[in-house]
Amino acid sequence: MTISLQNIIPVPLRDKPQLQQSEIWNRQVDFNDGEWVKIKAPSGTGKTTLVHIIWQLRSDFTGKVLYDNTDVASIKAAVIAKYRQEKMSVIFQDMRLFANLTAYENIELKRTMSNTSFYDAAVITEMAEQLGVQHILHQKANTCSYGEQQRIAIIRALMQPFKWLIMDEPFSHLDKENTLKAVALITRECKKRNAGFVLTDLDEDNYFAYSRQLVL
Amino acid sequence: MTLLLRKIIRSGIGKLRFWMAITGMGVAVLFILLAVQLHADFNQLLHGKNNANETADFLVINKKVTPQNQGQKEQNVFTETDIKELQTQPFTESIGKLATTSFKVSVESYSAAMPFYSDAYFESVPDEFIDVKSEEWKWSEGQRDIPVIIPSFFLDLYNTGMAMSQENLPQLSLEAIMAIPIKVTVQGNNQAAEFVGHVVGQSDRINSILIPQTFMDWANKQYGYRESPKPNRVVIKVKDPSDPALVNYLEKKGWKTNAEKTRFNRIRKIVNGVVAVTGGIGLVLLLFGLLVFSLFIQLTIASCKTDIELLQTLGTSPKQLERFLLKQFLPQNIILIVLALLFIAILQWVVTGILKTQQIILNPWLAVDTVIAALAVLAVVYVVNKQTISRYIKK
Repeated sequence: MTISLQNIIPVPLRDKPQLQQSEIWNRQVDFNDGEWVKIKAPSGTGKTTLVHIIWQLRSDFTGKVLYDNTDVASIKAAVIAKYRQEKMSVIFQDMRLFANLTAYENIELKRTMSNTSFYDAAVITEMAEQLGVQHILHQKANTCSYGEQQRIAIIRALMQPFKWLIMDEPFSHLDKENTLKAVALITRECKKRNAGFVLTDLDEDNYFAYSRQLVL
Repeated sequence: MTLLLRKIIRSGIGKLRFWMAITGMGVAVLFILLAVQLHADFNQLLHGKNNANETADFLVINKKVTPQNQGQKEQNVFTETDIKELQTQPFTESIGKLATTSFKVSVESYSAAMPFYSDAYFESVPDEFIDVKSEEWKWSEGQRDIPVIIPSFFLDLYNTGMAMSQENLPQLSLEAIMAIPIKVTVQGNNQAAEFVGHVVGQSDRINSILIPQTFMDWANKQYGYRESPKPNRVVIKVKDPSDPALVNYLEKKGWKTNAEKTRFNRIRKIVNGVVAVTGGIGLVLLLFGLLVFSLFIQLTIASCKTDIELLQTLGTSPKQLERFLLKQFLPQNIILIVLALLFIAILQWVVTGILKTQQIILNPWLAVDTVIAALAVLAVVYVVNKQTISRYIKK
């Protein structure tokens, strides 16, 4: 699956001078099958905006986003839902967990969203142990710390099949040790699916064997 | 997934708000269905057979004798046109002419113990309009005996007034009267004949002294100064003597009938008004009920709008959501409507039981209209549900 960005300019960034130096804004960018793409961006350059544009959460931009060469704006909600269940997964910077569900339930909701589950329920506990959050699985999500919530959001994203994993500062609330554990898990899961990812972050890093690094 | 979705949506509503909305909706459904049931009950009271004293009623109609027309007997009879017009009125089921004798009649007692003599007249009407069923009620040419039906107030007047006022007069039962033969003399066309009259019954319906139609026809031909006299009274069979249309018609024509029977029409007008007002209130309640429905659904969905959006962000398909949300609201509505129906059914059963002791007979079961209304409400709820839900789901 290919994700293409054609001359995207978000309306709020339209007049900012750094738009000229960007390797993404107002350019033709193709993310090809299986590519591991790192997008480095200082604060305020529109990392989250980019993720939301790719994920179809906002439409205040000019240019086009294409999934498999089809303009996303013309794809019906039912088909978008299918993409989100089978071909694309996401880790938002603000986690977006259901506050009234437990950590476990948040993950389980995603696991059982499509008719055929990608993983057994046992994998939830297994991954939670790997990331050190097994003890908070049955705690309500809004009582978990940001670090814990971030790891739950990561596990949730890995519960489904995907060809692309979109990550918006996925380790922002994690310490080095926990970051490395998460990186190991994500690497394993992406390899297992032959999947690509787009990761946005503030700084440079060597967590993954990136195919490409772009500056926003 | 369904369980988790339910947890998300329920927590978004808030228990108090949920129960408030349910209560509001329940009251609205109850009012709507109650209004329909009441309307059905009223209709049954007004038009049902059980509550009429008889399934049909008979009214004797005559033209009013006024100072202006009292000198012209011929004007106070019913013409063929009058009768035809009356016959075509919607309230008339059938019509019978009361024929009167056109010869001189006198009656007197055979008994010296109770002597009386009086000039008299007879009237006749087709048998189907007579409320006395008697084997003896027939006459054929050559028969000396004539069966006679007297009005019931006749005997009452005699027993309560006449007999009491005079020392020598005994009170008489109907049986006694029926046993007394009466000498009937008819004269006319320079002939006279004597017959024996027998009272065979008393009529509550027709205030006249009746003889069989066959005797009337024969005697009028034989002794009458005119062969077929025009009727000055007619009797009509009507379904509903309190029908305002009937009362208005008679008033317009200046004709008279038994005021007692038509008096109920005033009450009837009032009841009609009450029913109309009830119907109006029911309609207003219906509108309010629907408003409460849609507000409840909108409130519920609006209160978990963020969660619904997040579900879609995570990949829940619009169809999945729609189906799930419908399942969340419809069962409650169905349960509510069934409960309301059940409540009204019990109420109807209890109230009809109480009314029965006061001779007001109503069907103790739910009216078909109420069940249809419940189904209609359910259909409206379904449509409103579906529309509200799809408004909140991106497609």
